Amino acid sequence: MRFNPKLTVLASLIASACAVSPQATQQLEEARAAYRTAAADPAVQASAPAELKSAQDALQDAERMAQKGEPSELVEHNAYLAEQRARIALRTADIRRSEASIAAAAEERRRLQVEAREREAAAAREQARQAELQAQQAEMARKEAEARAAQLEHARIENEKQTTAQAELGAELKRLESELADMRAKQTDRGWILTLKNELLFDAGGATLKPGAQRALDNLAQFLTKYPDRDIAIEGFTDSTGTKELNQHLSEKRAWAVKAALVARGIQSTRIDARGYGPSFPVASNGTPTGRQLNRRVEIVIDPS
Amino acid sequence: MLVPLAALALGACATTDAPEREMGAARAMVSQARPVAAQNAPQELAQAQQKLARAEAAMQRGHHEHARILAEQAEADAKLAWTVAENVRVQRSAAEAQDGTRALREEIERNAQ
Repeated sequence: MRFNPKLTVLASLIASACAVSPQATQQLEEARAAYRTAAADPAVQASAPAELKSAQDALQDAERMAQKGEPSELVEHNAYLAEQRARIALRTADIRRSEASIAAAAEERRRLQVEAREREAAAAREQARQAELQAQQAEMARKEAEARAAQLEHARIENEKQTTAQAELGAELKRLESELADMRAKQTDRGWILTLKNELLFDAGGATLKPGAQRALDNLAQFLTKYPDRDIAIEGFTDSTGTKELNQHLSEKRAWAVKAALVARGIQSTRIDARGYGPSFPVASNGTPTGRQLNRRVEIVIDPS
Repeated sequence: MLVPLAALALGACATTDAPEREMGAARAMVSQARPVAAQNAPQELAQAQQKLARAEAAMQRGHHEHARILAEQAEADAKLAWTVAENVRVQRSAAEAQDGTRALREEIERNAQ
């Protein structure tokens, strides 16, 4: 044993007081690097400033001690604290980030729930609106169907009435026909038409009603009185013998004479339209005496409505 | 020559007060870190506990300066252990929170269809 061990220990202690040991130097470098990393991170600056400051304090102590030649043990110790605190600062920033993300997730869930509730409420409102709309449409359709049914029923009743009225009218006219030899009742597209031969009403070439026509006119007036809703048209026709102008004039005068006779029997003149057509619209050939006789006529057209 | 040097070196220990404050802080920090760090930062916790034990031993021997240094390091190690463990825990919670948000969004989308 060449050296006293105590002496060796003491020598190393003295040396450490004068020059920084390699371990302390290495620890100091590691502390500087760790501190730089932490200090350069904006997240650390923002969310772990206290931790960063305590790392900085320890590093500054270590640097100062190293410069003043204080024991390496103390330099190394403060550098170690600086390195650990720099790590703590970095982790603390990570913790704050995670906490923020937890809060953000909670906020996001709250927002999603609010949105979902709002969507559900909107859907419910829309459903209610649709139901209301459908109910309205159904009600409208029901009313329309009712109106249509009522219309159809009304039309059916009207039609029935009309049919009954037409049947009654026909029966009445047939009765008139049977009473007067020179009158014919006929149902046509224009309604019922009573055809009276001129011979029944007028003398040849004249437009004055014969006394023998009175019965026919009485019957006609009675008929019109019985059916106050029905208007009539009195249409005079001639055969083709003689001038057209004369025949036209004659047919008009005869139609007017019949109208006047009916008005005289109490029928409103506004219900009666009297016209002459001369030889137009023949119903038979003008080449035979029988045909000409048929063409000389007065037609009473009974308004079908 | 040797005697005054030895006296100086030993005197450094003898004149320092017992680092009660540092010891207390180290013990408290190790206690705080232990429940969370045992699972998520076992290495960092072991280092802190080891240094605290050495600090306690140094106190027993009356090596106050050495005990102070070990106690300060034990406190820093324990705080790092706690921070590492807490970071693991919080990251897990964040992932769960995000999963929860995703699940809720999917559920809402399913219900909306």
